[in-house]
Amino acid sequence: MTPAAVSHQVSVTTQDDVVAARRQARAMAIELGFDAFAVAAITTATSELARNVFVHGGGGFVTIETLRTGERLGLCLTFCDEGPGIEDVEQALQGGFSTKRSLGLGLSGSRRLVDEFELTSTPGEGTKVRVVKWTRR
Amino acid sequence: MIPILRVAGHILVSVQTELGDDVVAQFQDAVLMAIHEDRGRTDGIVIDITALEVVDTYVARVLADTAAMAKLMGRRTVVVGMRPEVAATLVQMGFTLPGVQTALNIDDGIAWLDAQR
Amino acid sequence: MASFTDRFGFSSTSLKERLRYFDIHPADLTLLKAHAELGHELTPAIVEAFYEHLLASPETAEYLSAPGMVERLQRKQAHYFHTLFSGHIDLHYVEERLRVGAVHERIGVPPRWYIGAYSRYLVLAHAAFHDRLEQAEAVALTAALEKVMHFDAALAMDAYISAHLETATRQRAAIRELSTPVIRVHDRVLLLPLIGTVDSHRAQEVMQQALIRISEEQARVLLLDIAGVAVVDTQVADHLLKMTAAVRLLGAQTVLTGISPMVARTMVELGVDVGTMHTRNALSDGLELALDLVGMKIGPIT
Repeated sequence: MTPAAVSHQVSVTTQDDVVAARRQARAMAIELGFDAFAVAAITTATSELARNVFVHGGGGFVTIETLRTGERLGLCLTFCDEGPGIEDVEQALQGGFSTKRSLGLGLSGSRRLVDEFELTSTPGEGTKVRVVKWTRR
Repeated sequence: MIPILRVAGHILVSVQTELGDDVVAQFQDAVLMAIHEDRGRTDGIVIDITALEVVDTYVARVLADTAAMAKLMGRRTVVVGMRPEVAATLVQMGFTLPGVQTALNIDDGIAWLDAQR
Repeated sequence: MASFTDRFGFSSTSLKERLRYFDIHPADLTLLKAHAELGHELTPAIVEAFYEHLLASPETAEYLSAPGMVERLQRKQAHYFHTLFSGHIDLHYVEERLRVGAVHERIGVPPRWYIGAYSRYLVLAHAAFHDRLEQAEAVALTAALEKVMHFDAALAMDAYISAHLETATRQRAAIRELSTPVIRVHDRVLLLPLIGTVDSHRAQEVMQQALIRISEEQARVLLLDIAGVAVVDTQVADHLLKMTAAVRLLGAQTVLTGISPMVARTMVELGVDVGTMHTRNALSDGLELALDLVGMKIGPIT
């Protein structure tokens, strides 16, 4: 059965929204046929990145959509906020911060859970993180 | 509400629901209060996370912090029941929770705590 | 079992789009239908010629030797040729083409045979058309036929490839299971002999399988033997450490065995820190340690 292309958007302005985004990502991942480990990876990455939107980005939204190229199915998640942006992207991705609700660890960690990871950030304007995970061939 | 039980002389916390930020704060407070109220009577804390399908870096840090706080209050903590996919995801991210003792299940957790007495 | 069109996500909209992509216009189909009689008339001769073509090639000739195969093929080809002139391409038509592709994959007929067949038909049809019709008409009819044949070939290929991929996926799953044998050697003790190369993909596979088994059986010790691992470099060492960390998170311990002198040297030279992981050279030593960790021991009878 070929799942129809689906796209969902979850606005993230409260803590509950982070959980909602997580649940949505999880449901769609299961629907696409990802195994338990991949579902956990997707859900966790969503949790991390949605939390960043909420905690560091001052709120924003998460878009989750199914992808299909040829025979492979994938899940694409985009996390957008119009917050302060990230000054030093390199450092953030290295996960070097150690403050209590730090940004870095979740970011670098999430990167390892997905197949594609794209971060664009303009200080003062906002941040956008786009990740993709493909089903196993 | 986080259910807190006493089992075999130890405190048992079974995390049933996903730990969102608000619940997490309650969780930590509940555990520390239980230790405080129980002073002199119980030895350790067993945190059962069998029901958790997702443990992100924040939750992982909360678990580690709770264990550290409990240690300061003289109690050992053991986290039990982590799911395979949760463990795999954590190590994939680079999180190995070095300061947190683990056990397969509640029984093994209690056995470990007893062995530390 | 879902229809092929369902499985491939075909709708009237996507069909229209595909027809457009293949440049097949209503005029083409109308033209073909207009010459249906001619098409039917030519069918026996074309099928016969096609059959001779198959016989001329040793590979395909062998396939024809199966009893009843020739008759069956001829019938199918005649039918196929008829449908080309039906002037009507709908979801039912698509369903048929997809089914044919899937059948070919199942019985092992490679695409080059039937794509070669399409090519042969065109040559034969082209000659016949030019023989019987005005040049302009013949050219137009050939063009229309060619487009429809390409369309058909693409559908058959879609189905063939998809079926092939499914087979490959199934085989991969089987290989995965075979390559990660986790053995219960004792109550609460699992043995995982790693053999061959360990790239990051396999390492992840192995780790996942091991974690699942540890959880299912509540095994306290994983005996991981690497004597059969071809190369142990920093990457492999990293994978092993990661696996050990994950096993610990579950609440179990790892005993790493099969560490040869060479591997020991490599690991030290590379600065691999095994931390508190138990390691042994011989599997038997590792087994004794594993049993000890679960409160058992091997000893002589009295």
